[in-house]
Parts: sequence; C-alpha cells; structure tokens
Amino acid sequence: MALPEMPEPSGRPRQEPSLLLIGTDFRCSPLELREKVAYGGHEGEDLLVHLLARPGIAEAFLLSTCNRTEIYVQPRDPGNDDEAYRAALELTFLRRVQEMEKPGRLYVKRNDEAARHLLGVASGLESMVLGEPEILGQIKQQSALAETVGASGPVIRRLLRSAGSAGARSRQETAISSGAVSLGYAIVELARNIFSGMENCRVLLIGAGEIARSVARPLVERGARELKVANRGAERARQFQEEIPQAQLLSFDARLAAVREAEVVVASTGAEEPVLTRKQLKEAMKARPTSPLLVVDLGVPRNVEPAAGKIENLFLHTIDSLEHLIQRNLKKRKEEVPRVQEIIEEELTQFRAWYRNLEAEPVVAQIQKQAERIRQQEVAAVLSRFPAETHGDLERLTRSLVRKILHHPSAHLRGQGGQSEGAARHDLSRLHLVRELFHLDEDREDKDES
Amino acid sequence: MTTFLDVANILLPLLYLGTAISYGFVFFASHPTANRTATPALRGSLLLHLAYLAALAIHHQQFPAATVSQALSIVAFAVAVVYAYVEWHGRERSTGFWMVALVFFFQLLSSLLTRPNPPDRAIFHDKFFAVHVSLALLGYAAFVLASAYGFLFLQLYRDLKGGRFSTFYGKLPPLEVLERMMIGALSVGFATLTGAVIVGAVWAQRLDQANWFRDPKILITLATWFLYALALTLRRLRHWKGRQTAIASLAGLCAILFSLMAVNFFFTDFHGFL
Repeated sequence: MALPEMPEPSGRPRQEPSLLLIGTDFRCSPLELREKVAYGGHEGEDLLVHLLARPGIAEAFLLSTCNRTEIYVQPRDPGNDDEAYRAALELTFLRRVQEMEKPGRLYVKRNDEAARHLLGVASGLESMVLGEPEILGQIKQQSALAETVGASGPVIRRLLRSAGSAGARSRQETAISSGAVSLGYAIVELARNIFSGMENCRVLLIGAGEIARSVARPLVERGARELKVANRGAERARQFQEEIPQAQLLSFDARLAAVREAEVVVASTGAEEPVLTRKQLKEAMKARPTSPLLVVDLGVPRNVEPAAGKIENLFLHTIDSLEHLIQRNLKKRKEEVPRVQEIIEEELTQFRAWYRNLEAEPVVAQIQKQAERIRQQEVAAVLSRFPAETHGDLERLTRSLVRKILHHPSAHLRGQGGQSEGAARHDLSRLHLVRELFHLDEDREDKDES
Repeated sequence: MTTFLDVANILLPLLYLGTAISYGFVFFASHPTANRTATPALRGSLLLHLAYLAALAIHHQQFPAATVSQALSIVAFAVAVVYAYVEWHGRERSTGFWMVALVFFFQLLSSLLTRPNPPDRAIFHDKFFAVHVSLALLGYAAFVLASAYGFLFLQLYRDLKGGRFSTFYGKLPPLEVLERMMIGALSVGFATLTGAVIVGAVWAQRLDQANWFRDPKILITLATWFLYALALTLRRLRHWKGRQTAIASLAGLCAILFSLMAVNFFFTDFHGFL
C-alpha cells in the first residue's frame, strides 16, 4: 500500500489524523445557496481534479447532496494547512458563490473533528431528518467517484471505510433509523402492523391531490399489491397516473365498491362533507367479515365520519394520529443518539489507531530492509565455501532466520497504534529507541554519504 | 438421581426466569447482550427440562404426569418447545418474553407443588393413561400459547384502534399474523383436547366407571371444550372476529388454570372416580 508523504517523527506524536473539512448544510445556508454549491457527477470530478492539482492537497473527498456540500482534504503538510484551506474554499465555494464568505455560511473542522463529523453524517446524526438512511448510499456513491478520479488516498479511503462502518453499525445496532417520520411511511408502518405484508395490501386512494401523491409513492415503493385512485376531477386523476403509472383510475362513485376489496383506504379530498360515512363503511365491512381495514383520513375537514372508528376490525386514523406516531418515532430516534455517538467514538478510535500506525510503518520497513542487506552481505561472503547445490538451501535458511527473528518486533511495532491515546507519546519514544537500537538513522546517513 | 431431580426442580424456574428477563431486554430495550443470550438461554433451559422429565420418568418408572406438579411441568415444557420452534422457524423473537414468562409461571407452580413421592397407582402404567394425559397436556399447552397470542393481539389491536402506540406497538408481529397464530394454536389445542376427551371416555367405559361424567374435573374440562368449540365455530361462521376470539382464548386459559389447579386442590386427587 502506498503511504502518504509523512514527515519523520519530530518528537510530537501524531495522535490526530491530518484532515480539513469545509462545508455548508441546511442549517447554514438556504436552498437557494445550497443549490448553487451543489455538484453533479462531472462537476464533482472536475473539482476533485482541480483540488489535487494544488500542491498543498494530498487527497480529497467531496460530499454533495441536496442538504449539504462538504469538501474533505488531507493537506500535504500536516503542520500547515493554509494552502489546502485556501484552495478548497476558493475552488469549492467562493468560485461559485461569493456570498459563502459571510460568517455562519460555512463550517470548518480540522483533524479529529472533521473525521467525527463525517462519521456523524454517515450515521444520520447530521441529517435534516434524524437517522435518514439515504445518506449512507450517497457517501458510498461519492467515494466511488473520488476513487475513480484518484482523489482518495489511504487516509481518505480509510476514513470513508470508518464512516461506512459507523453508518451501517448505527442502523443495525441502534434504532436511529427505525420508525416512519413522514406521512406516507407512517401509513406504510401502520399497514405493516396490521397486515402480514405490504405485498398483500390493495390500496385505494380517494382524492388525487398533492397529499395523495406524496403518500402513494412510499406505498408503491414498499410493494403495495394494487393502487386504485378515485377522484372527482378526471384531469387531476390523469396527472396522478402520469406521475405514478401503477395507479388504476376509478370513477368517484366506484369508491364504495373498491373499499370492499381494499386493505388500505386513504382519503385526502377537499370535500366539505364526508366522502365515506359510517353506514357505508359498515356495509363494506360486512362484505369482508374477518379482514381488517385501515382507513386513513387526511382531509380537513374530515373525509371520513369519525363514528366509523368504532366499527369492529376497522382502524381509522387521522392526520393527528399520524403526526403523533411520527413524533413518537422521532423521539425514539433522538433517544438513540448517545448510542450512535458511542459507535462513532469506537470507529474514530480505530481510525486514529490506524493513523498512528502509519508512524511505525517506515520504521518496520527500514528494519526489514537493513536486515535483508546484512543477510545478503553475509551470504555473499561465505557462499563460495558451500557446494553450488546447497546455495538455494542457504538462501532459504537465512531468509527464514531473518523473517522469524524480525516477526515479533515488527508485529509489536505495528500493533502499538491499537493502544490508548495516552500511550502515544510513550510509543513514539519507543520508536526512537528502536531506531537507535537498530542504527536506522546512522544506517540511512551512511547510505546517504555513500 | 434424587439429587439431580431436586436441583433441577429449583434450577428450572430460575433458568426460565433468567431467560424471560433476557427476552424482556430484547423486547423492551433491544439490548445487544440480551439479543445474543436469550435464545441460547432458552435452548439450555429446554435441554435441562428434557433431562428433568426423562429423569422423572426413569426414577418413578411411570409417565411423568402423575401429579399436578408433573402435569404443569409438561405443559411448561411443551409451550417452551413450541415457542422455540416458532422462533427458529419464523426468526421472530418479539413474542419470546411473553411466552417464556408463561413457561416460567407454569414451571414455578410445578416446582412449588412438587411432592417427594408421587403416588404409584396402576393407572399410571396404563397405555390409555399415557395417551389421554399426553393429548390433554398438549392441548393445554396449545391453549396457553393461543391465550398468549390472544393477549398480544388485544394489546396491539387496542394500540391501533386508539392511536395510542404503547410499548407493544412496532415490536410485535402484525395483527393478522398474531391472529393466525392464535387460531392455529386454538385449532391444535381443540383437536388434541377432543382426542383426550374421547380417549378418556373410552378408557372410563373400559374401567366400567358409570359415573365418570360427574367428576368435577371432567365437567370443567368439558365446559372448556365447549367454550373453545363455540369460539372456533363462531369464528368459522364469521360472526366472531379476531378480538372476540382473543377474549375467548383468554377466558379458556382461566378455565384451564381452574381445571388444573383449583379442582385438583379442592375436589379430587386425580379423577374422583379413580
């Protein structure tokens, strides 16, 4: 694996990864600004190529979604990221919108904070809707882009792996993404609590307006078996079908017959009078004696007579009860935040440990190189004294000896990064000790002189 | 052997209690440790329970259902086995807490009612006895499961009907699945209890017991059988929906407990005519 250019140990342990993040999100910038600094596939590629052309930047990663644009860079000089900062700021944001310079529009995070932020984004903690799952896919997609362009090196690549792991673990080990937090998904959630699967659900929508469209998409997406739409106006119904081609259009009067066959009924008309009365629903329930029926009334004023809620096996929900469900789910997600933060810290600790190991890698490589040189010299000195047919054995024997002698010290040096942060300074002094013991610096100087 | 039986008698309710607590953590808190330990704990408890029942049969040289304690232990074991199968088959653990809590309750009663020397009577060695009691206990175990599913059905039904969304909401299988499991368990229980009643009646005739139908335990059992028959018939005729059937299954459980406990305590040792 190619290692990034790192300075030789200078007495200061590299406890934190060298990273720089500049970004803006829905909290800092309105949509009008965010859309100006949003990057499509090719634009993102161009940006990364331009950034890498700057001498101060070793690696880069761009995350651009509808809610955020963030640029992560690994400065070539960990001690001085001024050049990387100026380049990332100018090329990513100011070149497009000068207004981004205003205070509060951008956030800048460095090193640990930058890494923690990306892990938080991947886990859904920074999302507009807490715990939303799409962001993890977006990060994966954009990391593939950075990989294609060659913008991600070992540090960014490892950071993205940690982010992916934090995101996946947060969703598997906590309830940060559980429960519906939108009207459409709340209806899906209710249906899933009643029926054995969405694929068994036939859905009837009464009304074809904006609300009907917004709830229809999740129902179709989650595999509803059938979607029928009964609307008074034919034009709006046709528009609905253009947007959601799976929908079958019905006349408004056919709604009562359709209720008998449906599992889920969603009413969202602007009618002043109920479009489904208790009597009509009671009749419909007689045609389906043991099958439950979920009726969701999203109309204001109400589209379904409230008394229908008393019918056995009929579950009537209104916009209020759905809102109550959404708030309950959001509250549950918020309760999961500390557990997600724990996961992020665990992943961050592993990332830091990996980063610190980079310090040991050159030392291990030097020891192995030096040992190999000595081996070759010694073998060459005595080789003529041995019969030619034993030369191969001699090579194998000496290589094996060197490998076995160096195995434990190498493994130990590589493994030291896994220790606690408090041990980092101690580790560094050990690295110096190892250099002295093996005469690594002298070895290099001798080589340089020669 | 006696030492093993004594130790297992104390250990079993404790193990089931621990397992129920684990499943409780799975249900209420999705605790990662409990998620890992609950199923192995149940399987371990089941193995010990199986060994305990086998040891009982070997030690007393009879089918281990000679006392209320032994019958309760068999019911607990049967419920636990059926639940373990349901969990393994459906990869569904959300009902585990309630099922294992019932198992713990039955095993605790069994352990508390244990007698050092169960009666050794000729009927306990009769094949009819083994078939009759096995069918009856299997039926009771199925009814216990049906009532547990019925209870959970009612909780979820109430949540969905009232839009209250309590702790049960979102953690249980859907209403339709709970109802199907409840009806399935009721049907199995009804079939096996019917078998037990028929075998018992034939057996009583063979023993030349003319007044067997006056035995309070048989009367209670027949009343329970009629209750379940009514529930299943009304359900089949589509007059009853899930909620009414769930209430009937809970009422049936009360009748079973009464039949198993009170009748045995206050009226007879086994059947009055024997």
